[in-house]
Amino acid sequence: MFRTPLISRRDLIRAALLAGATSVFAPALAFGQTAPAETTPAQHGVDDSRLLADPNWKPALLSDQQNETLIALSEAIIPATDTPGAKAALVNRFLDLVLSGETEELQRPFIESLAYVDSESRRLFDKNFSDLHSDQQNELLQPWAYSVRNRWFSEEHADPGPQHFNRLKSAIAMAYYTSEIGQKELGWDGSFTHGPFRGCQHAPAAHSGTPHNATSHN
Amino acid sequence: MPQDVLQQTYDVIVVGSGATGGWAAKRLAESGLKVALLEAGRAVSPREFTEHMPAYKLKYRDHSPEIKRTRPIQTQCYACMEYNYEWFVNDLENPYSTPADRPFSWQRLRVVGGRSLVWGRQSYRLSDTDFKAKTFDGYGDDWPFSYQDLAPYYDIVERYVGISGAPEQNDMLPDGQFLPPMQMTCGEVRLRDRAQAKFGRTLTVGRVAVLTQDHNGRAACHFCGPCERGCSTFSYFSSPFTTVKDAVKSGNCTLITNAVVAHVNMDNGANKASGVTYVDRVTKETKQVRGKAVILCAQALESTRILLNSSTSEYPNGLANSSGALGRYLMDHPAGGGASGTFDDLSTLPSANPPNRPNGIYMIRFRNTPKTGKHPDFIRGYGFQGGSSPEFDMDAPGIGAGYKKAVKRGIYQVSLGAFGESLANWDNFCEIDKNLKDAWGIPALRISMAHGKNEAALMRDAGVTAAEMLEAAGAKNIQVQTGFGIPGMSIHEVGTARMGDDPKKFVLNAYNQAHDVKNLFVTDGSCYVSSACQNPTLTMMAITVRACDHLIGRFKRNEV
Repeated sequence: MFRTPLISRRDLIRAALLAGATSVFAPALAFGQTAPAETTPAQHGVDDSRLLADPNWKPALLSDQQNETLIALSEAIIPATDTPGAKAALVNRFLDLVLSGETEELQRPFIESLAYVDSESRRLFDKNFSDLHSDQQNELLQPWAYSVRNRWFSEEHADPGPQHFNRLKSAIAMAYYTSEIGQKELGWDGSFTHGPFRGCQHAPAAHSGTPHNATSHN
Repeated sequence: MPQDVLQQTYDVIVVGSGATGGWAAKRLAESGLKVALLEAGRAVSPREFTEHMPAYKLKYRDHSPEIKRTRPIQTQCYACMEYNYEWFVNDLENPYSTPADRPFSWQRLRVVGGRSLVWGRQSYRLSDTDFKAKTFDGYGDDWPFSYQDLAPYYDIVERYVGISGAPEQNDMLPDGQFLPPMQMTCGEVRLRDRAQAKFGRTLTVGRVAVLTQDHNGRAACHFCGPCERGCSTFSYFSSPFTTVKDAVKSGNCTLITNAVVAHVNMDNGANKASGVTYVDRVTKETKQVRGKAVILCAQALESTRILLNSSTSEYPNGLANSSGALGRYLMDHPAGGGASGTFDDLSTLPSANPPNRPNGIYMIRFRNTPKTGKHPDFIRGYGFQGGSSPEFDMDAPGIGAGYKKAVKRGIYQVSLGAFGESLANWDNFCEIDKNLKDAWGIPALRISMAHGKNEAALMRDAGVTAAEMLEAAGAKNIQVQTGFGIPGMSIHEVGTARMGDDPKKFVLNAYNQAHDVKNLFVTDGSCYVSSACQNPTLTMMAITVRACDHLIGRFKRNEV
C-alpha cells in the first residue's frame, strides 16, 4: 500500500478507524507467526466493556454490606443529575473487580476506609451509611469533602475522616470517569480524530505581557 | 552440539531490531551487503495496535493487578499498559540483580522494533558543548568526533524518520531537518514568551518523531494521542514499519525472530568474530549464524551482557574488553526536578475529544553553556520537558452535582520536568551475576548504579528554575519537585562500551568498531562517552548510520 500515492491521508485515517483496516495495513513482509498467547486481550480485540453488566453479578471481594456502602457512597459523591451517576456506571462492581485481584495489603486500606464511613455513620445517626437519607449523607461527607482545599500540599491530614474519604473518592472518581458513562459525561463523542492539533490562535504578542497586566485569554 | 541451521555466511549479523538495529539493517542491506537481522522477540503486527480502543473496553481499564505479577519492573514504565504489556519482557523470564541499596529499573521490550514501538519520540541533536564537554569543564572524556562529523548523519536520519520541530538557532541544541512544528497552547506560549523576556531562556515545541505532513509513504499524524499503543497510520517512527521493512524489501536482509543471542563466536586464530550463537526463544534450541562482521544493537545493557558472556581465553573478562572498561560508566538521565502549577486566568475548558498532541514542550539547556558561563554548584545541565493545557480535575473538592461540574471545568495545568546529565562514573557498572540465568540459560546481569551529588544538584536547581519561570508566567499553586527517580527510570541508559581513540581506556573506536576485534561493532547507546541531557535515540541512530557507512567502506576495500 505504500507504493500507491492515490490513497489520501484522509483515506488512511478512515481505514485505520475501521476494524477491517488490518488487511490494508498488513505489511508485505513475512514477519512470521504472531502467537495469540503473547498478545494482550486488547491486542487481540477482546472487548470487556459489558463484563460488569452480568445480571448474576456478585461481589468477589466485598461483603454485601461493604458493597451497599460503596454503592451509596459513590452515588453520594457522583450522583445522577441530568447525566447518569456512579451507581449507573457500576462503580462498585469495577472497584470490586480491581481490588479482588490485588494483594491483601492493597485491599486492606480500602476496606478499612469503607468501615470508617459506616462507623462514623452509626456513631452520628445510628445507621449504616447506605440507610441514611441523602441530607444525612451530605452532612457526614461535606466536612471531609472540603477539608483539604489546597490539593498541592501533600502532607497527610491529621483528621482521619478526610484521609479515608479522599482514598475512597479518588478510587470512585477513577472508576466513574473511566467508564463509558463517565467518558460521555466528560463529553467524549466517540471519535479518535478531529483534524490536526490547533494551539494558541492569538496574536503573536498576546501572552507576552507581565502576569498582572496581560489580558486573560481563552 | 549447536545446530548450524543457516548454511550461509552473511556479510553482517545485526543483533537487535530496534531504533539502531533497524537502521543498521537498512543501511547495510541497501548497500548490497547480505544481512542477518536477529531479534530476540516475535514479530509485531498492526493488528495488535490498540490506540483507538477506549479504556472501558479493558477488563481493568488500565489498572490491571495481573500485569504486576509477571512484569513487576516493566509496570514502572509509563508506556507499559494493560493495552500492550505483552510487548514488554516478562520479568520472571528475564531476571537481573542489583545491590539492595542501588536499585535500577531496566525497562525493555523483546519484539521486532523493541522500544521503538513505545518510545517517547523526542528527538534532539547533541552539540559540541556535549561532544567536547571535558574541554569545557575538565570532567570525564570528550567524544572522539565533533558535531560536524555527525551532522550529515543526523541529516540522513531526520530526513527519513520525519522529525517535526521548530528551528531556534541555539548553539546548545542544533537545528535539524524539520517537518513543520506542532503548535503550542496558550499556556505554553505564555511560558515561552515570559521565560525568554525575563531569563533569556528558550522554550520550543518538542522535536518529535511524529509526522506533521505525509512523509516517505507514511501518513501525517491524526492526533489521536497514545502512540505507545501503536499507530494505524504509522505516523510515529518505529523500526518494524520503516527501517526493518526497507531492509527486508531490499532482498538482502533475513529477519530471524525469536533469536535470543547468547554470545558472539570467535575465530581465535584470526582474532575475528565469526558469528553469534543464539537460543530459539520458543523451542530453546541452540543455533548459530555465521557472519563476516557482527554489529550489536541490542540496547546498551543487553549488548554489554552479550560481550561479557562471550569471554574467551584471550578475552577472559569479556570479549573486546582488554581495556577493562566494558560494563563501566553506565549512565541514565536523572529526571524529576521541576515544578507544576496552574494558570487560573486561562479559561479554556478541557476536552475529552481529540485532537490530542502526542508531544510537549522543550526548554533548551541554559546552565553551564558557553554563553551563561560556569555554575558554582554543579557541572553540565538539564533540559526541561513539560506542557500546559486544560485538564479535567478529578481532584476537585466537594461532592455531588457541584463536584461533577468542577471536574468538567477543570484546571489549566502547567509543568516542567528536567532530564539532567548523568556523569560518566567508573563505579556505575554492570557485570555478569554468576548465580543468575534467564529462562534460556543465559547468564544474567548484575547492575549497580546510583546517581551522585552532581545529579542531585542539577535536579535541585531544576526545581528552583522551573518554579521561578512558572511564577514569572503568572502560574498559581506552584509546587516544586527537587527529587528524582532511581536510575533506569528515564530509559536513557547509555555508556557501558564507550568509544574513544585510546584502546587502553575505551572499548570502541570513533567508528564504533571494537579496538580489540576489528570486525565487531556496537552502535547502540553503549557507545556514549557522556550522556548529555538530550533524549538519546536520534543520536544513536545517527551514530549507527555513520558506523555502517564506515563498515561498508571497509567491505568495499576488502578490509573485513
